[in-house]
Amino acid sequence: MAIINQATKELQVKIVYYGPAMCGKTTNLVQVHDHVQTAAGNKGKLVSLATSSDRTLFFDFLPIEAMSIKGFKTKFQLYTVPGQVIYNTTRQLVLRGVDGIVFCADSQYEKMTENVESFQNLADNLKSLKLNLNEIPYVLQYNKRDLPNVAPMEYMDFLLNNREVQVPAFGAAAHKCEGVFETLNMITRMLLHKFVNQGQPQYA
Amino acid sequence: MGTLPQLLEEDIQRLDDVLREYLERSDATTALIIDKGGFLITSHGDARRFDLTTIGALASGAFLANQTIANLVHEENFDSVYQQGETFSMFVTNIDESCLLMVIFSSKVGVGMVKYHATDARKQIANQLKTAQDRDPSAGLDLSVLNLADPSALFKRKA
Repeated sequence: MAIINQATKELQVKIVYYGPAMCGKTTNLVQVHDHVQTAAGNKGKLVSLATSSDRTLFFDFLPIEAMSIKGFKTKFQLYTVPGQVIYNTTRQLVLRGVDGIVFCADSQYEKMTENVESFQNLADNLKSLKLNLNEIPYVLQYNKRDLPNVAPMEYMDFLLNNREVQVPAFGAAAHKCEGVFETLNMITRMLLHKFVNQGQPQYA
Repeated sequence: MGTLPQLLEEDIQRLDDVLREYLERSDATTALIIDKGGFLITSHGDARRFDLTTIGALASGAFLANQTIANLVHEENFDSVYQQGETFSMFVTNIDESCLLMVIFSSKVGVGMVKYHATDARKQIANQLKTAQDRDPSAGLDLSVLNLADPSALFKRKA
């Protein structure tokens, strides 16, 4: 749940990048960290709790401050989850207090089963936290579009974006920083709109 | 999942006072109140030497991981976590369903004092949070002052 600190005029929001193993969640955060244009001191350190082979073990964490919106400093906390199936408990922990989700899918044909399973896993984990995918802003990112064996975007929409309400989906090649900022800006905009419409965030 | 009550400036002031008194009594270096989702709510003490935002996120994750371990060994919860270092040590304890108190203290300071005075501090923090909750649990903050019609990107890529 986002926090607004009335004393310091700060809005704190948590966005989680979710998806199957090796789909590019950490790469998204690395690219944001490396390329985002911020005032001095507004970008925190990218923290990765990873194994020696660079697989995310617990989560990656990037605190970052966007430009001020009407006097509110907007502080975003970007997290990734570990993609491997066995780390489900960890994924549940990271989802606690989530405000917006980027579901990162691997566009390669052979990864479609993993994508669908991971998406279902996301819905299940939100349910275990008494949250509902229909009520949380989320966007889809179809990553690795630069590889030769990718499925068409329409097919991925059919598999992952076939719910009652379709959400924005972006093609991306995260390692080239293509589609990374488009995705981040869309989820940011969606969840801020939600707050304005519902007036739900807590404030401190 | 519990949500934070709405806190006014006077609540924050009171929480800061509790942390200040706690640091004086325990001789600890820095005290933080953290939401279990990973947000730093407020802090007192030396903030220059530490990246409190990141520490808050990691401490929250570590505490919740320990809570899961507690359940696996048939404990309802591990109420607190203590990490001993050579220069600084860390103590995290549960305040209520939503929040944690985290303390960073010199390793020369006895952990007994830190733990002893934390008992009182967390009660006072919990009371203040409850006061805020009871004040008006349903009211929200009007964010309509935010101009989201502005089409410019919130995050821009370096040219």
